Amino acid sequence: MNIAAKSLGAKSSLLHLSLVDAAEALKDGAISSVALTQAALEAFSRLDDAINASIWLDGTAALEAAAAFDKKRASGATLGRLHGVPLAHKDMYYKAGRLSTCGSAIRKDFRPDCTATVIERLEVAGSVTLGGLNLAEFAQNPTGHNRHFGDCRNPWGPDYCTGGSSSGSGAAVAARLVFGALGSDTGGSIRLPAAICGVTGIKPTQTRVSRYGVMPLSFSADNVGPLARTARDAARFLSVIAGHDPKDPTSSREPVADYEAALSGELAGVTIGVPTNYFFDGIDPDVQRAFDEAVEVLQARGAKIVPVTIPHMDAVATYGGIVSRVEGGTIHGEWMRARPQDYAVHLSARLYGSQAVPAVYYIEALARRGAILKAVAKDVFGACNAFITPTLRMKVPTLLATDIDAGTPGAIEVFNDVSVNTRPINYLGLPSVSVPCGLDSNGLPIGFQIQGRPFGEARILAIADAYQRDTDWHRRLPPHVA
Amino acid sequence: MQSLKDIIAVQARTWTAIEQPNEAAGVMADMLGPILAGFEALRGQLRFEDEPSSFEAALQETKEPTKEPI
Repeated sequence: MNIAAKSLGAKSSLLHLSLVDAAEALKDGAISSVALTQAALEAFSRLDDAINASIWLDGTAALEAAAAFDKKRASGATLGRLHGVPLAHKDMYYKAGRLSTCGSAIRKDFRPDCTATVIERLEVAGSVTLGGLNLAEFAQNPTGHNRHFGDCRNPWGPDYCTGGSSSGSGAAVAARLVFGALGSDTGGSIRLPAAICGVTGIKPTQTRVSRYGVMPLSFSADNVGPLARTARDAARFLSVIAGHDPKDPTSSREPVADYEAALSGELAGVTIGVPTNYFFDGIDPDVQRAFDEAVEVLQARGAKIVPVTIPHMDAVATYGGIVSRVEGGTIHGEWMRARPQDYAVHLSARLYGSQAVPAVYYIEALARRGAILKAVAKDVFGACNAFITPTLRMKVPTLLATDIDAGTPGAIEVFNDVSVNTRPINYLGLPSVSVPCGLDSNGLPIGFQIQGRPFGEARILAIADAYQRDTDWHRRLPPHVA
Repeated sequence: MQSLKDIIAVQARTWTAIEQPNEAAGVMADMLGPILAGFEALRGQLRFEDEPSSFEAALQETKEPTKEPI
């Protein structure tokens, strides 16, 4: 039994293990998948009324799967990297015949006829799926509001946003209901809830993970990735789902690195850039302070910190502002005509303007994407191995302050500003991991994000892991969970 | 002069038969102004040798070197 598992007694504290420690304890036979799954289901029944992280749970199927995994382990069979670990996922990953609401009224009874490749890979690796987690309607907002299934609430303070769109994934991992969860990230939807809920979330390089069987939002900017407690957990989870998929021709054939093997804790010889432009404009002092302290930790670990200017940020912000908007508007065009009343106000409002963006602007944005990425790589990654920024510039806003449907004055502006630091990274297609790095004056989490070269997931996870070896923000519990 | 909201209402109705669904949609339509201004500001400012270029090729060209120690 590993040390972490030994120190735990009560069933609920089993859920305080990291994903990797839980997987190792299961492999050793120190704990059973049934015990972990029961603990997770009990935690949902105890805590989920307050945070509303799930849309549906299937405890019976989860316990049956867990029992089968325990039997397999007892037989001496070869085990997967997530053998027996309970997970739950943003409710937009299809499994044939199973409910997948996409957080919407329009798809509230939708049962797809195909299974997402990432779900298949997680099943092969031995994970147990507990259910579908709350999300923004059609994964289309950065705050976690959901008119149809109820707003997801932050475990650190129920009046505050969880971040979106992977709201339930962030909240469930933060509240120790599951060891990890799939999110998706088109403009920050993994990194925002990770930062706002105080967990670790990685948006991989564009094309790194298959999108087959995943609800589309934006063909050019959608990414699949995990939220988990630690960088090591995220590395384990990502290693299971990354890699080419013949069913998704847009997925890359680039070999998948050994992410966990890269977690050496060493930052000597690593140069980390801090942008001098864009990412700190109008930043909240609490966020700046936490970011500065994170820089000091990385420096003390041996990293060299250098200032970098990100070229063409005006173009990145402008182009990045329309690509996913127009693609989302295209995907939703039929429903926007036929069922406009079935959308939340904030979503139909957001999709509407895209109908009038000139096609020449959309094509201009796409046509220059590769050239701009090359210019950024030359100027930025010519000077550093990775660059870091705050994930959000603002403190965590309340649900009310960002409630467009309720007509809160100023809500639209705050809503738009939440993702101002994450959206550009999607346009550039870079891998990015958000790591917790402090608490603001309201007691809500603060995060910073680490960006690397394309397919540099091992590099950014190694930096995140090194940071987490000297800090404990990722281990802190939300007050009512503690 | 027509507001951006009014222009978008005509464009959306004409090209996609979608009506403004609520008041917030009008406010958000007007908020496309900075993006429009962004495009205007970029006119004539950017020149790339390989334009249009393949984004997937750029991902490969700029990727993390595999031999570099992590």
